[in-house]
Amino acid sequence: MSAALAASPPAAPRAAGLARRIGLRVAALLAVALAWEGLVILFGIRPFYLPRLSAVLAAILATPGAYAAGFLRTLTETLIGFVTGGAFGVAVAVAFLRCRTLREMVFPLFVVSQTIPVIAFGALVVLWFGNTLMAKAVIAFYLTFFPVTVNALIGLESVDPRQIALMRSFGASPRQILTRLQLPSALPQTFVALRLAASLSLVGAIVGEWFGDTTGLGVLLLQAMYNENVVAIWAALLVSALLGTGFYAAVAFLERRLVFWGAEQ
Amino acid sequence: MLKRRHLLAALAAVMLAGPAAAAEPVKASLRLKWLPQAQFAGFYVAAQKGYYKAEGIDLTINPGGPNLLAENLVATGADTFGLSGGSDSVLAARDKGLPVVCIGVSHQVTPFVFVTRKDGAVKTLQDFKGRTVTTWFTGANHVLNAILAKEGIQPGEVKIQPQQVSVTPFVDGAVDVATATYYNELYAIQSRMGKETLRTFVAEDYGVTFPRDTLIVSETTLKDKPELVKGFLRASIRGWRDAFADPKAAVDTVMAIAPTLDRAHQEFMLAEVKRLMTAGAAKEKGLFAIDPAAIAKAHDLLLQAKVIGKPVDLTSAFESRPLDALSSADRQL
Amino acid sequence: MTAHKSLAVQRGILGALLLIGLWEGVARGFALPAYVLPAMSDVLLGVWSKRAMLAEAAAYTLTEALLGYGLGALVGIGLAVALTLVPRARGVVVTAVTAVNSVPVVAYSPLILLWCGIGLASKVVMVALAVSFTLFLSTLAGLDRVDRRSIDLMRSFGAGRLALLWRLRLPTALPLILAGLRVSTVRSIIVAIVTEMLGAYGGLGWVIYQAVLQIDFVQVWSAIVVASAASLLFFGLVGLAERRLLFWKAS
Repeated sequence: MSAALAASPPAAPRAAGLARRIGLRVAALLAVALAWEGLVILFGIRPFYLPRLSAVLAAILATPGAYAAGFLRTLTETLIGFVTGGAFGVAVAVAFLRCRTLREMVFPLFVVSQTIPVIAFGALVVLWFGNTLMAKAVIAFYLTFFPVTVNALIGLESVDPRQIALMRSFGASPRQILTRLQLPSALPQTFVALRLAASLSLVGAIVGEWFGDTTGLGVLLLQAMYNENVVAIWAALLVSALLGTGFYAAVAFLERRLVFWGAEQ
Repeated sequence: MLKRRHLLAALAAVMLAGPAAAAEPVKASLRLKWLPQAQFAGFYVAAQKGYYKAEGIDLTINPGGPNLLAENLVATGADTFGLSGGSDSVLAARDKGLPVVCIGVSHQVTPFVFVTRKDGAVKTLQDFKGRTVTTWFTGANHVLNAILAKEGIQPGEVKIQPQQVSVTPFVDGAVDVATATYYNELYAIQSRMGKETLRTFVAEDYGVTFPRDTLIVSETTLKDKPELVKGFLRASIRGWRDAFADPKAAVDTVMAIAPTLDRAHQEFMLAEVKRLMTAGAAKEKGLFAIDPAAIAKAHDLLLQAKVIGKPVDLTSAFESRPLDALSSADRQL
Repeated sequence: MTAHKSLAVQRGILGALLLIGLWEGVARGFALPAYVLPAMSDVLLGVWSKRAMLAEAAAYTLTEALLGYGLGALVGIGLAVALTLVPRARGVVVTAVTAVNSVPVVAYSPLILLWCGIGLASKVVMVALAVSFTLFLSTLAGLDRVDRRSIDLMRSFGAGRLALLWRLRLPTALPLILAGLRVSTVRSIIVAIVTEMLGAYGGLGWVIYQAVLQIDFVQVWSAIVVASAASLLFFGLVGLAERRLLFWKAS
């Protein structure tokens, strides 16, 4: 971590660059908002297809508590699924690296598991885990771990064997080799998967909420759909977008801080 | 098998010891058939006013959703009580060997109608022939087939399609006849097309009744915890009584849980649900009364439609005793 | 190499057999009712006895998935390619796509179902939406991988934009495009099924939905097995095509 800080460029120009970037983003957002509102009025688009942005925002502001609670609840489920899925994914990758037989026996099963439409056994997850936060987090976990395993494994295997031999000749234990060399080298690849996992875990949380729940963005979406309330659907979509973008940005930020030496692309 | 028996014995011991050991409320849950809305107002009111607590029950209300079946969750013990689909889903569950028992019927009469445009081509049931009719393939389709059969119409003569999610195809005229619950779809259709423009076909007019929204419990709970079942029924009826007496406050309670709902629609829903819940057998016997004649009719209909493979023993599938054990003051509105 | 490959295949089969055995053992040993977990043998029997109905449902779902897959691939790749020809539009388009993509795809399904109805169209749109995002991003990344010097070299020989695209950019981008196409196969089928479960006239998702409501859990699992097999087949076929097209990489 200290190495990461030392390697980061001087603070002042960075802050200025950041401010400019944020300014640009805000401007772009405002432009999109104006275009949304303007185009709907200009072309007289039926609210059934696209309601005015102001109407959508008014719907959110009419019951801000519901959207805030849904946001927090879905965020919690997403986070639990993401963290456990990420950790499990990396752990499995390490286990696969260490034990080839295990890898060859289990990896194909993992591939098959990813072809199962998760929504099909949502009812089972509720049976097994009850109507808890965990049931949703499990679905998020299920969608998250596999991409992380795949990429972490690629990263772990790409370590130069000569470097491992070198560390071993200095008397490093397998554990030290793993934590000091292999895992750091696998980090850039792993983060590529983690960024994908950020959106997948959100998908898992939202789908999980379709199996009977009171709070959450998935619940709001479902309720709006069955009441044919398009404004409410857009409101829930907007809040989901906020959550999705925010979470993705947080993971990308973490990536920039941790993988300062060689972020992909 | 042996292990399971041990487990059950241990469970039973815990259950028996439970209430005696302390006056601590018994944990229980109610699984609804759908997302929170005024259709379930009475339960939410009872919970909010502490009626379940007063019966020594710490009740959690779990909403339903698409792809969830209350019978399944109650049979496995994931939930204690369920407000499930209806007589159809209870019978199907019994037919499949699920150990669930119906202890009360909420909607005494068929809660849905078949609706068409007044100025359209469909004036009578005979006109269904050759038309596109959408319905739910979760019970309503059997009612449709049954009333068509009474008019001598074969299912193949009508284009029957699944209906889900939206009434827009009907409003837009792509569908000739749609199925609508009094409290949801009919409201949506009426508010978009106007009440006068519609013609409805009511199952009861053709001698078919399909009681829906059934309260269910597992055989184990019914046997081992009769007091819990009775307490649950008593508190639920109290909640519904309050909800009917003060609908505005009841809708407030529901909307505190699901604030994005439309208030006007929820008030309409509660009024319709009241009508459905207080019709038929409930008029004399009170809320949740089980009408054996109506159940037997629904059973025969489902047997004919081959939804259930063999006759189901109705006396073990529908159990009135917990309800009958309540004092008449507790049952009347 | 081949000796080890066959060993790996054997181990894979062993793993699958162990899982099936464990599943069967748990379901039979604890005498679990079908609504908790049906035995694998019952599920396979269920697939066999309902094969005609399941095949029809699978064909329905595959039609939706393939149509959406094709449409999504066309839009995603097309948009990315168009951007290399009109680089000025890039900033706006990438921002817009990122914004739309920030909402999880399944969250659009309520809207798409209301707009397009519960027939074929809504599934095709949903699949196309999911596939086009993936392909747009991977194609764009692939097209960007081209070495600046190769471009300069070809330009010096008088190659125009289109020639550059056809001769240089697309071949360079091909591995990433094909990888995107391969990843999207499984996704397209899952998205089709998820959308079907919210509303449809047929397909595997509809079969699962109906089976849950009729408490036929053997049928639920049978449909899942068929869906999984269809996904693997689709995945395998595209993977095969990928290896054929990228013959130069293998050698």
